Amino acid sequence: MNQKGFEPKIIGFLCTWCSYTGADMAGTSRMKYPSNIVIVRVMCSGRIDPTFVLKAFQDGADGVLIAGCHPGDCHYINGNMKTMRRYPLMVKLLEGFGIEKERIRLEWVSAAEGEKFSTVVKDFTAKVKKIGPLNWSVQAGVSKEASSPGLKEARL
Amino acid sequence: MSDLKNNTHKIGVYVCDCGSNIAGMVDVPEVVKFASTLPNVAIAREHKYMCSDPGQDTIKKDIKELGLTRVVVSSCSPLMHEPTFRNAVQDAGLNQYLFQMANIREQCSWVTEDRIKATEKAKKLVAAAVERVILHEPLKLKEVAVNPNVLVVGGGIAGIEAALQIANSGKKVYLVEKSPSIGGHMAQLDKTFPTLDCSACILTPKMVQVGRHPNIELMSYSEVTDVSGFVGNFKVKVKKKSKFVEQEKCKACGDCEKECPVERDDEYEMKMKKRKAIYRYFPQAVPNTFLIDKTERPPCKITCPIEQDASGYTALIAQKKYQQAIDLVRKKNPLPIVCSRVCYHPCETACRRGDLDEPISICHLKRFLVDWEMEKPEERYKKPEIKNEREEKVAIIGSGPAGLACAYDLRLLGYQPTIFEELDVVGGMLHTGIPEYRLPKKLLKKEIDRMKDLGIKIKTNTKIGKNFTLGNLKKQGFDAVFIATGAHKGLKMKIPGEELAGVFDGVEFLREVSLGKKMEVGKRVAVIGGGNTAVDVARTVWRLGADEVNIVYRRTIKEMPAAAHEIEETQKEGIKITYLTAPLEIIQKNGKVSGIKCIKMKLGEPDSSGRRRPVPVEGSEHEIKSDMVIAAVSQAPDLSFMDPSLQLKVSKWETLETDPLTMVTNQEGVFAGGDLVTGPATVVEALACGKRAAISIDRYLNNLPLDSKPIIEAGLGRKSKDDIPKIDVKEKYKDKPRKPRMQIPGLSIKERAGNFKEVELSIPEKLALEEASRCLQCGPCVECFECVRVCEAKAVNHSLADQTVELDVGAVVIATGFDTYDPVLAPQYGYKKYDNVLTSMEFERLSHAGGVTGGRILLKNGKEPESVAILHCIGSRDENANEYCSRVCCMYSLKFAHLVKEKTPAKVYELYIDMRSFGKGYEEFYKRLMHEGVLFVRGKGAEITDVVENEEEKGKLIVKCEDTLLGFVRRIPVDMVILSTGLQPQKDVAEVTRLFTIQRSRDGFFLEKHPKLAPVATATDGVFLAGACQGPKDIPDSVAQGAGAAANVIAMIDKGVVSIEPIVSYIDPEKCAGCKLCLTLCPYNAIEFNQEKKVSQVQEALCKGCGTCVASCPSGVPIQYGFRDEQILAEIEGALESETLAVNK
Repeated sequence: MNQKGFEPKIIGFLCTWCSYTGADMAGTSRMKYPSNIVIVRVMCSGRIDPTFVLKAFQDGADGVLIAGCHPGDCHYINGNMKTMRRYPLMVKLLEGFGIEKERIRLEWVSAAEGEKFSTVVKDFTAKVKKIGPLNWSVQAGVSKEASSPGLKEARL
Repeated sequence: MSDLKNNTHKIGVYVCDCGSNIAGMVDVPEVVKFASTLPNVAIAREHKYMCSDPGQDTIKKDIKELGLTRVVVSSCSPLMHEPTFRNAVQDAGLNQYLFQMANIREQCSWVTEDRIKATEKAKKLVAAAVERVILHEPLKLKEVAVNPNVLVVGGGIAGIEAALQIANSGKKVYLVEKSPSIGGHMAQLDKTFPTLDCSACILTPKMVQVGRHPNIELMSYSEVTDVSGFVGNFKVKVKKKSKFVEQEKCKACGDCEKECPVERDDEYEMKMKKRKAIYRYFPQAVPNTFLIDKTERPPCKITCPIEQDASGYTALIAQKKYQQAIDLVRKKNPLPIVCSRVCYHPCETACRRGDLDEPISICHLKRFLVDWEMEKPEERYKKPEIKNEREEKVAIIGSGPAGLACAYDLRLLGYQPTIFEELDVVGGMLHTGIPEYRLPKKLLKKEIDRMKDLGIKIKTNTKIGKNFTLGNLKKQGFDAVFIATGAHKGLKMKIPGEELAGVFDGVEFLREVSLGKKMEVGKRVAVIGGGNTAVDVARTVWRLGADEVNIVYRRTIKEMPAAAHEIEETQKEGIKITYLTAPLEIIQKNGKVSGIKCIKMKLGEPDSSGRRRPVPVEGSEHEIKSDMVIAAVSQAPDLSFMDPSLQLKVSKWETLETDPLTMVTNQEGVFAGGDLVTGPATVVEALACGKRAAISIDRYLNNLPLDSKPIIEAGLGRKSKDDIPKIDVKEKYKDKPRKPRMQIPGLSIKERAGNFKEVELSIPEKLALEEASRCLQCGPCVECFECVRVCEAKAVNHSLADQTVELDVGAVVIATGFDTYDPVLAPQYGYKKYDNVLTSMEFERLSHAGGVTGGRILLKNGKEPESVAILHCIGSRDENANEYCSRVCCMYSLKFAHLVKEKTPAKVYELYIDMRSFGKGYEEFYKRLMHEGVLFVRGKGAEITDVVENEEEKGKLIVKCEDTLLGFVRRIPVDMVILSTGLQPQKDVAEVTRLFTIQRSRDGFFLEKHPKLAPVATATDGVFLAGACQGPKDIPDSVAQGAGAAANVIAMIDKGVVSIEPIVSYIDPEKCAGCKLCLTLCPYNAIEFNQEKKVSQVQEALCKGCGTCVASCPSGVPIQYGFRDEQILAEIEGALESETLAVNK
């Protein structure tokens, strides 16, 4: 596959209190990172339903980043711990679908870690770029119309 | 939900230029053009500043005129301006939740380098927001009432200011301070820059105001341990550590301090002075009370079964207060003469000094005291006073240590105890079990005579079951019974030949000897067993003239239950111990013992007691020749006295069953203790049983319910290692000189043979004093109670316990302050290595009139310095320590220079990187110092050394640095160096962060909501910041922030209500399967199970809107308002398929 000129699409799910604030901090500090990532804000990383991740891949994302507060720092006591427990299962499930585990990443980014956020995005974008496009919906042979309503109802 | 999508919508999209912040990188017209092609978008506009009034007015106008049903603003972060635009939408009559923001500044224009890419990304963000907003639904803000009480955490100047301002507005303030007094760092400072007013002079009036303010409840020496709830309604748990001094009674006279024998480094004086274990934080402390430092409690006392005040009498001995010491011993111990000789002293095993070198010889210090008392008993023995006589009679069966202790304590309470003893002699095992050479009978008699003198009746030759029965004691007028008949029955070895002549039982043997019976011993005697009885028997047999004594034990010396020093003495006396050997059969010759058939053992797996089980080695049978065998394997109570009609409960080990603490048997009014209950144990454990029973009998006779609480409070609970606070003794006392424990004088082996003279001799005073002064006083309070004795106000109370209080508050101000950088981490500056290298806080105390030199600036040798160097930026502006500037060091360094100049004729060097004198009057102060003749050297100090290179440098500290103005490396010889250490977050900053669920910035300080516009708020509503906990700050800034935080709090409270985002979860009862999974996941226990409907229900008031339950429900029933699955899925779709969406129109 020709990966030159390939620009991966990346969705980032960020908790409001630490990681989204951290991403804002990267902006305020003018720390540059690739424009491939589009961020979706949720209140807590514990809110991130595996369906969101599947939906992102199905709609054409090549990578998904999940970021929450550092363990112990969760604004909602321990929502991030639930994400941490859910995450390996989610990776396993994605691998079952033929999605490389390198296409998903879980990171802890605090409100102060603008620099870390920018580093993570740079690194993750480069890695996904290296793996190449996913084209999952095409690969799986499912059309969006056929699977989309199902996805919205189906749970993991 | 679907109905929301069915309607056709009119969406207004507004893209902000933000001056050039966005427009400089994003092609805004292009984004607007793109937005207008998206489905449902009725209007898309560009605006220079959307947040400005005209910007907001555009939205309002469009809503009204175009009938917009949804609004998207594409500008900065929603964390910044979402409330602004929501208000605008609401003002125009549209529900504020029908709005969405696209963050194209912080997360797009500011982080992207390529204009085309930034524009593309902005389009995606706009498309995502448009797709999402279609599915938004109108929501209503929740309003909750605000509790008007406020919590201020931290009593430094910022916390004081905040507390006073809030309290002055009529609100109740709880001010929680960790240290014993408010005042914080400011209370330690000498003068303040640039005005040079005395820090205490301007601070103490404020402190006093806090102390007296009717609206402030000051909780010093307290810590917040738990926070729950939310803005307007927080629930806070505060642990008030016990000061052991009753605040209301303490007059702060300081009498207690003078008597306290314990010295500790004074933290307030930067450890340059000593304070006592009972102390006042500083003379102007608020609250102005004393407190006792009991942070690490003495393990010797905690592990003692009767909580004998071991560290207390040790400290009193060291002060030659022998009378107070013996009085303290006698307060809890009814038999100190006995204990000083035979106690197995668990105190010494637990002694922290044992981790350093050797434990304190606590038991022998008691021996010193009782010997001292016996020198002049008429003067030194104080007969206890019996305050109120009572009529009730208590029968005590058995005169061993348990019975004696119980009788003694009951008598002191005024009761009339009578001890019934089977034998002619009194003392139980003390008389019949412990040989004369360890405990002379005349000494035992002395203690018993003193008991009789107190009015305790002892009836000897009276056997239970023979002369009287338990049943008829009540008829004889006894109101309660304590049974402590001990464990005097020796257990059999259960091997063939035990019945032979020449085979004896160990307990019986010792009893016969002690009762004066002439015992013939063999030439070669074997003693079977490894406990104290076996050792006592062996040493007795040796004294009676046996040629060879051999202790046969089935395990190794490590497992031997006998006391270690007893085993040592046994070996010194030439007694052989054969380990790993078990008897199989006693062999006879002509009906007399001729030897023991034994087998070798090896150690196998550990048994239930944790000791390794001995296993026979096959084919290792052998014979040990002996003509006398004494079995001392174990003892058990003799229960033959038991009156079956009483139906006392017996355990499977043939002991009497009682409650472990109240010592009550299954029969009302009948108590029991000692070996009869515990099985064979030690004297001090028996004393504990007796003392516990005395407390229970007292309660019983006062018709109070039996309760283990008063027993635990009296220090008679079951002891566990976990009760001892753990410390790293080696680290903490690393500077303590090592010294071995004293050698106890004793009889030589020759002097011991053939007699029963006491082996251990009296301890000379000099030796005892030396030994007592070895005590680390690790408590640090040694609990000698001298403070209690001298306190006229009766304010000292050593049994005051910690308290936890729960507070309801509406808002919190965190003002926990800072810590200073520890220059030990930068060894090149020689801090702690060279005497005259000080930190800034140490210099403050040195220069302070109340400090160690009374305000004179002196070197450690007492001389005035001729030259002083002040090194700036230690731990600040340094990538190896803290990157940031600490903001106060330049100025306080100038202040130091002024103080040195004022008080001494010394030359002063300031070594700086840049001078930062930015505040009001600061630059002027800098100029003044230049005129005062201070020598300014631009260049950071690189190293301090005492390696001299020439005559001039001799005896000086040499500061090496590069003078960056002159451009060469300098060596400046000085007498004193002051390190201007920077400010850093408090040590417990991470815990506080978690407690209040706030955030920290990269420098580790607490993160404010906005660095410019919300410097005292945090991301957590209702939690505010003040002072240096948010970042390094000088006093004026801290005070300003304290007042600022107060204003925020007052505004919030005066409004009366706070709005809470309605982004809670909802579970449709029609769909819920009732699996309860969400109940366990909810961090706030906000979901309850409706038993009737068998479904889970969200309690809205408790839900904080994290959405964890929504993500984890197996059937996807819960929804989160504002963050519905559909809304987020639409956002994802919009972001990924922006191009397709646009084309579709």
